[in-house]
Amino acid sequence: MAVQGIWSGTISFSLVAIPVRLVTAIRPGHISFHLLHSKDYSPLSRRMFCPKEGAMVPADEIIRGYEIVPDKYILMTDEELESVSPERSRTIEILEFIDMKEVDPIYYDHPYYLVPSKGGEKAYQLLVEVMHRTNKAGLAKFVLAEREYLVAVTSKEGALALTTLHYSDEILPDEDISPKKGKIEAEEESRMQKSIEQMIEDFDPGKYADERRKKLVALLEAKAKEKAPVEAPAVAEEEGEGPADLVAALEESMRKVKENR
Amino acid sequence: MEGRRLPLSNLEKDLYPSYGFTKARILEYYRGIAPFILPHLKDRALTLKRYPEGVERDFFFEKRCPSHHPAWVKTAEVPQEGGEPMTVCMVNDLETLIWAENLASLELHVPLARTGSSQTPDSMVFDLDPGEPANILDCARVALILRDLLSRMGLVGYAKTSGQKGLHVFVPLNRKETTFEDTKTFSKAVAEIMQKHYPDLVTAKMAKQERKAKIFINWSQNDASKTMICVYSLRAREKPYVSFPLEWEELENLAGLGDPERLQVMHSEAVRRAEEKGDLFQEVLVKEQKLPHL
Repeated sequence: MAVQGIWSGTISFSLVAIPVRLVTAIRPGHISFHLLHSKDYSPLSRRMFCPKEGAMVPADEIIRGYEIVPDKYILMTDEELESVSPERSRTIEILEFIDMKEVDPIYYDHPYYLVPSKGGEKAYQLLVEVMHRTNKAGLAKFVLAEREYLVAVTSKEGALALTTLHYSDEILPDEDISPKKGKIEAEEESRMQKSIEQMIEDFDPGKYADERRKKLVALLEAKAKEKAPVEAPAVAEEEGEGPADLVAALEESMRKVKENR
Repeated sequence: MEGRRLPLSNLEKDLYPSYGFTKARILEYYRGIAPFILPHLKDRALTLKRYPEGVERDFFFEKRCPSHHPAWVKTAEVPQEGGEPMTVCMVNDLETLIWAENLASLELHVPLARTGSSQTPDSMVFDLDPGEPANILDCARVALILRDLLSRMGLVGYAKTSGQKGLHVFVPLNRKETTFEDTKTFSKAVAEIMQKHYPDLVTAKMAKQERKAKIFINWSQNDASKTMICVYSLRAREKPYVSFPLEWEELENLAGLGDPERLQVMHSEAVRRAEEKGDLFQEVLVKEQKLPHL
């Protein structure tokens, strides 16, 4: 796969360090729309609105607050937020090796692949092979986009896959989900088991597709053929001088240019 | 090619019908110009502008790399505002160039930044766009004033035809500290000063009615989300014109001759001139310059 990747660094444990790139394993099928003004097809922008003043709020007047009870906030500055953010890191440090079967799928967050970078191909292959044979997954901590993730690195069809995992305190307790135990009739149980057995198949995800998305794409294609797309009008530009120093230097240069022409 | 199989299709299809230029000849042009265009396409997210039925019929833009691309086409994930990253392709070798042309992507558009550093422009650009009845000769006049102004500011610019009606002036920067905010602020201030001193010739305003009979200096192209036609790319006009670099001296001479057609460079001439003079846009990729007074 000739992909550039969204992160590059090394994956390491004990004395091993292999240069790798992280690439996403999923292309989401979501089709998104822009919001337009129906009068003239201007794309609309989101602005911050103050209901008290009935006016838009400029960026330099916007700060962050964490709501502890309704209408009461603890203020938080960018610096304070940054002080608790993890340092950017160039390593995926494997902390321990685990059995992937022990990980409840509810912990799976987002799947990625790790691709070997130049010079790392041989060590990468070795790790893929050994992890495949021992059937173990590497549990690691890893910083991506200012967040520290818990990740599982697995060997998958000759490559390394990386799955970000939810932290345990993100998983909701399931105690209220299951109903109280009642008596189950043996006959009912065997009937249901039979119905299930009749429907058993091998998992083949290719059989299923997002029907709404398919129809939406077809509709968009048909509409694009039928009629030219509507066009957004030009936006009125903000007038305003550039930085004073620059404008002064440009004025002076312009004067000299005109003298010499 | 290089052990890669690439089936080509519809080679006899005439994609410039009023001039007569088949897909086979388009592929031949890009094969000939490849050594010159490839360094300018390298590591940049390609926007394909495809003309499957030729230049007189509908076209469509493709920013996303077509999902059926061969495995050897280099791709990158570029972050998108408020969404999942998008997969784009990069024309880093001759095979990919030929693949893109086989898709009838006559025009090759690329951003001013490379994919690995998509917020760092390596050039600042002035897109000079004439409003009728102004033409490319008026663009040349504006470009020459712009050259002098930039030079007084300690900056060197390089000009190319757009291959349509205008000219582009590129100011190489190649410094990782420069942001699009910098290039936008600087180019806007330059456009406004030009407008102030040459109000009958220049406008810095986008509005269509402001642009009549004037040269619009489009500074707003200095943006991470914008693309420019790549130097040496063909244009989809009635004839296969090329976006081609011109030396300043040449531009001075041509501006004096008063024939707008003389500024345009066509396919065969483009390859011949590039082979003779080398890549006049070479410096754009390497020359380091710092924008003063920011």
